Amino acid sequence: MVHKTTITPNPKVWFFAERTLIYSLIAVFLFITLSPLVWVLSTSLKPNTEAISFPPKILPKEPTADNYIFILTDLTLARSLINSFLVSIGSTALSVAVSSLGGYAFARFDFKGKNVIMSTILGLFMIPVVINIIPLYTMLANLGLLNSIVALMLTFQILIIPLNVLLMKSYFETIPKELEEAALIDGCSRLGVLRRVTMPLSMPGFAIAAVLSFRFSWNEFIIPVVLSNRSDSMVFQVALYQFISLYRIDWGYLTAGITLSLIPVLVLMLSFQKQMIRGLTLGAIRE
Amino acid sequence: MSSIFVKAEPYFFLAPSLAILFVFLIFPLFWNTYISLHDVSLVTILNPWKYIGGANFLDIFSDPNFYMSLRITLMFVGGSVALQFGIGLLMSVLLQYQVKASGILRAIFIIPWTISAVIAAFSFKFIFDDNFGILNYILNQIGLQSVGWLSDPNIVIWSLVIANMWYGTPFTILFLTAGLLSINPTIYEAAAIDGATRIRSFRHITLPLLRPFIVINLVLITMWSVNFFDLQLIMTGGGPLFASTTASLYMYRQAFEFGLLSKGAATGIVLILINLSVAFLYLRFLRR
Repeated sequence: MVHKTTITPNPKVWFFAERTLIYSLIAVFLFITLSPLVWVLSTSLKPNTEAISFPPKILPKEPTADNYIFILTDLTLARSLINSFLVSIGSTALSVAVSSLGGYAFARFDFKGKNVIMSTILGLFMIPVVINIIPLYTMLANLGLLNSIVALMLTFQILIIPLNVLLMKSYFETIPKELEEAALIDGCSRLGVLRRVTMPLSMPGFAIAAVLSFRFSWNEFIIPVVLSNRSDSMVFQVALYQFISLYRIDWGYLTAGITLSLIPVLVLMLSFQKQMIRGLTLGAIRE
Repeated sequence: MSSIFVKAEPYFFLAPSLAILFVFLIFPLFWNTYISLHDVSLVTILNPWKYIGGANFLDIFSDPNFYMSLRITLMFVGGSVALQFGIGLLMSVLLQYQVKASGILRAIFIIPWTISAVIAAFSFKFIFDDNFGILNYILNQIGLQSVGWLSDPNIVIWSLVIANMWYGTPFTILFLTAGLLSINPTIYEAAAIDGATRIRSFRHITLPLLRPFIVINLVLITMWSVNFFDLQLIMTGGGPLFASTTASLYMYRQAFEFGLLSKGAATGIVLILINLSVAFLYLRFLRR
């Protein structure tokens, strides 16, 4: 055994230096993360003349809700906001229902081709959905289903189902099988067991799946910009995008739109943050 | 009779998911090949399609803009992956070192990932704006020239890489944090008793145990960067000219800007091949 004498600095000084380094790196990243958002929020509260005035002020001199009022009273934008809610809620409900059934099959049954189907669904998760926009466009165009909110809900499923099936499978596996068996013996049907025993116990799992679905549906841009860009059927993300090509960019209005579109998902994600991390890692670690 | 029904039961549960995935994901994937072998444009989409064999592929492979888009993809993906992974690893490891309020910090760091790419794109378009952007304002204040963040063909792709770093890094933090949490802390205690420094235990314990997470994370963020073009489309539209048109945006622009659906579909097939090679390369690396 070779003994090396290393010069160890005073441990207290060393500890202090290390802490300082760690905290300053974190502070820098915190600044990078938050400053664009703070800047956008502050601009959205400024009158349009102040938004582009120099020098820029971090805090608005005379805060105003004018930009928000403009966005919410503009017919196309307000309509698109409603469309966004309709599409996101519909696609969330559909996805949670469909993926729960799928996840339940994987968690509770042994059947032929189980592993093949499971790995196919996992493999599908790796397929870049954007590659499908051209074939989807031609399919829906030929069926006359472009600019349809229902078609959007259905296409959004390909973003969500693989992840949610996996998530619900993992969740159902945490619920003891014996509870269901007891109910089956008592003469409950399979679907009855699902409704009376399993579902009430799975509410936290449904919540994670729902929040994730909502996030994907609300935020999706490429699919709706291709499949649904007529003013009566477009979603908010698309409307904001059209908005800048129509008018000269009015940063006041735009930043207000950005802030509005941010709120629903941010509220959901922050309130379910813990479950979200667990849910995502559950899905990610599994395979 | 009833036993057949019982055997079929799981398939009933699976049917809705599989049906939707088949119609909207698997079938279009093959349909894409069919389109790429025909002459289809936005104008002629409802007429009968003419079979033209490999002409669309010849077309893209003789287009200098296509080669340029491959080069730009390489820069965009290389820059994005390096920054997202480097910063993501650093931050997730730092947050493990008993930092105060690490829960709140994690929640804040994840924010950019929870919002839509449209929002990220607009925010950075605003910050990078040549005339009204705060970045050029700061540069001018400290006596430097304005930079054409989104208008200079040599710089634009790096501005997009920065925006993508902001948008994408949170996922790596989230993913690697999950990996770090899966490592048993007693290993570190044992290493510390044996006199290992922080840096040594990071190199010899953390990195090897984190390896599977790192590889999966790299596969995911590489593929996402290859296919992702929301930022480019909104911030620059691929411009100036083709200076920020990555291969995936090239596909979109051919199809929906120039109306050449089948040329776009052919590009889509090249993109699938790029994705497959990325996955293959990383999996080789994982097995080694």
